[in-house]
Amino acid sequence: MVRFLIKRLLHALVVLWVVASLTFFLLHITPGGPFDRERRLPPEVLANVAAKYHLDEPWWNQYTRYLTGIVQGDLGPSYKYLDRNVRDIVADTLPVSASLGIFALGFSLALSFPVGLIAAYYRNSWTDRFCLFIATLGISVPTFILGALLIWLFSLQLGWFQAGRWGDINSAVLPTATLGAAPAAYLSYLLRSAILDTLGEDFVRTARAKGLKETTVLFKHALSNSLIPVLTVLGPLTAGLVTGSFVVEYVFAIPGMGRFFITAVTDRDYPLIMGVTLVYTALLVGANLLVDLLYSFFDPRIKAQ
Amino acid sequence: MPHALRIAGRCALALSLVILFISCRPSSEVASDKVVRVNLGTEPPSLDWSVATDHVSFNVIANLMVGLTEFDRDLKPGPVIARSWDVLEGGKRIVFHLRDDVLWSDGKKVRAQDFEYSWKRLLHPKTASEYAYILFDIVNAEAFHRGKIDDHRLLGVTAKDDRTLEVRLRHPASYFLSITTFEVTYPQRQDIIERYGAKWTEPENIVTNGPFLLASWKHEDEIQLRANPRFFLGRPAIERVDMYMINEKTTALALYEQGRLDFLDNHSIPIFEKPRLVKHEGFRSVPQLRGYYYGFVTDRKPFDDARVRKAFALAIDRTVFPKILHGGEEPATSWIPPGMLAHNVEIGVRYNPAEARRLLREAGYPDGKGFPQVTLGYNTDEDHKIVAEAIQGMWKQNLGVLVRLENQEWKVYLSKLQSDPPHIFRLGWGADFPDPDNFMRLFTSLSGNNNTRWKNRRFDELVDLAAREWNTQKRVQLYNEAQKILCETDLPIIPLFTTAESTLLRPRFAGLEYNSMSRLVLRDVRLKNSQ
Repeated sequence: MVRFLIKRLLHALVVLWVVASLTFFLLHITPGGPFDRERRLPPEVLANVAAKYHLDEPWWNQYTRYLTGIVQGDLGPSYKYLDRNVRDIVADTLPVSASLGIFALGFSLALSFPVGLIAAYYRNSWTDRFCLFIATLGISVPTFILGALLIWLFSLQLGWFQAGRWGDINSAVLPTATLGAAPAAYLSYLLRSAILDTLGEDFVRTARAKGLKETTVLFKHALSNSLIPVLTVLGPLTAGLVTGSFVVEYVFAIPGMGRFFITAVTDRDYPLIMGVTLVYTALLVGANLLVDLLYSFFDPRIKAQ
Repeated sequence: MPHALRIAGRCALALSLVILFISCRPSSEVASDKVVRVNLGTEPPSLDWSVATDHVSFNVIANLMVGLTEFDRDLKPGPVIARSWDVLEGGKRIVFHLRDDVLWSDGKKVRAQDFEYSWKRLLHPKTASEYAYILFDIVNAEAFHRGKIDDHRLLGVTAKDDRTLEVRLRHPASYFLSITTFEVTYPQRQDIIERYGAKWTEPENIVTNGPFLLASWKHEDEIQLRANPRFFLGRPAIERVDMYMINEKTTALALYEQGRLDFLDNHSIPIFEKPRLVKHEGFRSVPQLRGYYYGFVTDRKPFDDARVRKAFALAIDRTVFPKILHGGEEPATSWIPPGMLAHNVEIGVRYNPAEARRLLREAGYPDGKGFPQVTLGYNTDEDHKIVAEAIQGMWKQNLGVLVRLENQEWKVYLSKLQSDPPHIFRLGWGADFPDPDNFMRLFTSLSGNNNTRWKNRRFDELVDLAAREWNTQKRVQLYNEAQKILCETDLPIIPLFTTAESTLLRPRFAGLEYNSMSRLVLRDVRLKNSQ
């Protein structure tokens, strides 16, 4: 187990280095610079700005400075938010995105398990079709449409929930539902098909033949053995949810990290783009590692391998 | 499978109860009477006025600070911290006399040395201020910024004593007083900046002198300002300003309609909602000192011929813009915007398709025949697309020329304007300070922002003469002549319209001003029934 962990951690470091380098080089070949403005800066002013951020140095100097900074935990200054550095920005915004992501994950799990179970158990009935219809809707309706619809219905028409901003439980309901809807639908689908597969297995037939109660068959035998595909997607899904969603944070005015995946690119805020990309990669790698460890817990066959 | 169903049912019931419980909370906050809530749109990139460059930052700074002067309703600089000033040596030396009763928020007096420090900091190469050039008229300022001079004592800005600030200029500059209205020239406290470094703008560190104090700053979310009881012009009538950072316009409008916001501007009003909101009591459209224009790359065929450029200008019916953009745009044929000194509606070419066709024929392209393929470039944006398509249609109809449209992401577009510009390009220009020099200098030969590559020695000369001239009437005459060259004879650009800011203020408030420089002025906001 320890060897496995060390191997995976080394893999993770390589992945982080590759992502960091790719981001760095892609950004530097993208047309348009961080200080290109409608009001073009005089050359002498631009020279001082470039010197401040070491943009006047050769690329390999910038690259080594950037990698050294990462190793030391310094993600550099933001080119857009001049009074703050990237570490401050991530520290301020990641907890908000993570809270919203965890709420959304909880919401999608709470919704997908009963829906998946019911749909699988009543397969091909109207209940199943209804569940599938709702799930298809959840996957196919774009987040920005769903967000706007929820605001219109629950904030403007019914006046139940706050239309935007982040603070209390009331303000968290609509963004949680918006962010969690698509994963809930996707997980329901996945769970339904996994349970259907498991219900056809020999051990389920044996369990039923032994006269076990249907609930025991379903929860103890079928459900627990259907969790592997769900676990597989849960890793990247969690990483995606906790690092924030541009659309949901934008629509609901949530001070999270997700918005920077887009705005930092349009601003050409190189350090911020690289910072949020690295944080996302680290979380993704971490979540996948955790999932791998959980596999062996849920399925002893994997541990044996 | 009734048991599983029961469990699922219980989950659903529990979820519904949670939703019901949460939704039973009051749906809108009951705002205190003396709190006004506005939407900034985004996080201010910086509250350090030496490095801030954007209107969001300046909208906060303008309520935290005051400077030497501020412009009045006629856009002339009037006294604030400067009680008066003397213009000496034909305009090459200006001596500001400061008031004695202006206090910083920590109780210390604002002194001339605070201005000297701030201006020198703005110019220092290490500050890397993007607005450093705004003070390049000061003796040795440019050399100091370039690092050619290290000794800051050689700069032409000196505090003679606590109440006297002397500024020496390289040449007379009649617009210089207007520059002192600009936030980047506001005073700063050397002790505070040196003590806290980059964190000096955080609420617990910052020291200001304006009508409000920075009470809190939750990044990406909210800024709270509190009335400054020591403000020398009197404590503001409202106690607190909450400034939210809501990017999405429909969300901001929904919060306004829920009673959670009191003021919206263009950054918070969706364009499709304007026709409905115009009827609201608190709706206003405020003309801005911001011009929108199309420029020609004049060193390339076919727009190296002034007749072709003029034909394209004559073929545009500018009256359509307010109808298609719904933003209160003011069609413009000349460059200096309404409200600014030397604005002149008589200057420029008006819609005249017959004359346009004649000129194009004279240039060798009868009915557009033989006209090369040309491209009109703009940055990706719905409004710019609407304008470009409307103009494309007019040129096709009036000149027989089909122009190709090409849009690009903003930064890519800006970089392409320098490396490989389209034949015709879209740009805008907003005033930094309310003086025509700020607009006219844009198209002089040496201007880094003159993307047209057009050069006219007489135009340059007129702009320089007007800058050195202190007599207002003579300045207007000089600018009239320059504008005729720019907008009637040479036409390297086609001015299209000036923009307006749509604002919506909750009717129980009054006195909130959105001035023509896009600044949100909050110090006179009051409840309507109070004095």
